[in-house]
Amino acid sequence: MAGVQLINLSKAYGDVEVLHDINLSIADGEFVVFVGPSGCGKSTLLRMIAGLEKVTGGDVMIGEKRANDLSPRQRDIAMVFQSYALYPQMTVAQNMGFSLSLERRSKDEISQKVKEAADALKLGPFLDRKPGQLSGGQRQRVAIGRAIVRNPQVFLLDEPLSNLDAALRSETRVEISELHQRMNTTMIYVTHDQVEAMTMADRIVVLNGGNIEQVGSPMDLYNHPESEFVAGFIGSPKMNFVKGRYAEAVGATTLGVRPEHFAIGQGDDTWEGRVTLVERLGHDTILYVNVPDAGALTVSLDGQHGHQAGDTVHLRPQLEFVHRFNEIGQPIVA
Amino acid sequence: MGRWLLLFVLGVIAILMVSPLILTVFTSFKPTTELVNPPWAPPVSLTFEHYVRVWTEAGFSRYFFNTLVISAVDAVVMIVIASLAAYAMVFMEFRGKLVLRVLFLIGLMIPVTAIVLPLFQIVRGFGLLNTHLGVIFADLALALSVFVFVFSSYFVGVPKELHEAARIDGATEFQIYRRVVMPIAVPAVVTTALLEFLWSWNDLLLRLLLLTRDEMRTLSVGLLNFQGTMTRDVTGLSSGTVIMAIPVVLLFLFFQRHFVRGMTAGAVK
Repeated sequence: MAGVQLINLSKAYGDVEVLHDINLSIADGEFVVFVGPSGCGKSTLLRMIAGLEKVTGGDVMIGEKRANDLSPRQRDIAMVFQSYALYPQMTVAQNMGFSLSLERRSKDEISQKVKEAADALKLGPFLDRKPGQLSGGQRQRVAIGRAIVRNPQVFLLDEPLSNLDAALRSETRVEISELHQRMNTTMIYVTHDQVEAMTMADRIVVLNGGNIEQVGSPMDLYNHPESEFVAGFIGSPKMNFVKGRYAEAVGATTLGVRPEHFAIGQGDDTWEGRVTLVERLGHDTILYVNVPDAGALTVSLDGQHGHQAGDTVHLRPQLEFVHRFNEIGQPIVA
Repeated sequence: MGRWLLLFVLGVIAILMVSPLILTVFTSFKPTTELVNPPWAPPVSLTFEHYVRVWTEAGFSRYFFNTLVISAVDAVVMIVIASLAAYAMVFMEFRGKLVLRVLFLIGLMIPVTAIVLPLFQIVRGFGLLNTHLGVIFADLALALSVFVFVFSSYFVGVPKELHEAARIDGATEFQIYRRVVMPIAVPAVVTTALLEFLWSWNDLLLRLLLLTRDEMRTLSVGLLNFQGTMTRDVTGLSSGTVIMAIPVVLLFLFFQRHFVRGMTAGAVK
């Protein structure tokens, strides 16, 4: 096991720099999630740690070693790809044991390690099948199994759940979290899905436009976003941003209110609006409300409510939870 | 109606294409006495005498062996070098890659007939005239561009992540080539093997030029023996042609499915 350090790391393709001066320290055994919108550089960053992309500036340290000039095989890492990247001509057992066979380990050792990993991932009955004969979820488990058998210093996972359906995604999410607890190996996980990031990470690294916007625990990011971007990116449904007189009233350029931080009430301190759409999720009710001078707002109410589209509602933002931002999107500290 | 018309047109085309073959097969099995009959008349009594004569007296057994050796070596070596070159072009980054790509492209454009004389001089310069090795080198050099293209078209369809996953797993480039990429490139391998074998098997020009000693000759050159300035041994020519065609036809029948897949690789994704 080893930690990973990124020191002044940058990446450029020709004249175009896509990652700028990244500094990050990942502790041994930590589960870190890189999250951000498409094109923010999170996969490039992961691939640089893997050795699949050349470093054009700064250093990648894996454990105590500078890894910039090491090939992927010398870095002692394992990677799970979004597309599974299983070798189609090999059986599940051969896929999982491929790296060990390259190291010329004995057949007995390979089959024992493959069996252990297969048992842990409930792949035992499928060891003789080819990837083409497996479902998407099974294939992804084989890809994870292929990473496990190597017992690497660092696990890298590049959007591993993106190709799975919603039910399987949450199931596999739990499996990966359990796997991390069991193995306690450093894991770096890339996703654009902030729910995955929130539920799995010890720490989340939010990337935007090739820069790190913020690093912190999920609750840190949720409660204390250091920029308007992070505030909008973390949390589902996403935070409402209100400009104009409501923001000015609290001394901000932009006022950020999470959907769950609205209450329905009456009085002068409420914002009157018209419901345009209602989503009933059972445990929550989501209202889309058009408020004059504030725009279209999303409101999440606990439990089940009888509001209908066209109703007039009065929203009361819970001021102790609102976020105030200045003109450059930085939080205003009281 | 349209369908019947199409079938009729296709049928006519098929008959036109197969007719020389039918004529050749009929003639090869006809006793000499039947040669006065109309050429399209099927043989009344079948005989193998021409085949026996061609195989033994006309030296076709040796020509067959020579052709088989040259074609088989051509096919096997071509698979290895074309796939290695294509692998480097598709999966590896190196200086001068663009220049190499252009050179391969130029190789596709130059007809053999245009460079046949310098080729002769080069082969003679290496002392490889009248050797099978000389012909094999010439064959490989002339057709390499085509098969690099065949393999490249196939390899670009191999997901990049497979190559990357193998690198992460600790494989060297050669191990990735041998254990990951080549096992899934069977259609390209079959296409290359068949086409190179076929071209080598059927080639006349290079063999005529580079193999002048009788014991080194191949089938295509051997067929010329049946054709003099004033005379023509029709039955010998026919049975020799059938002997020459049989292996190729069998190969195509056997590997047709893979062949089509290899040829269309990269056409659609």
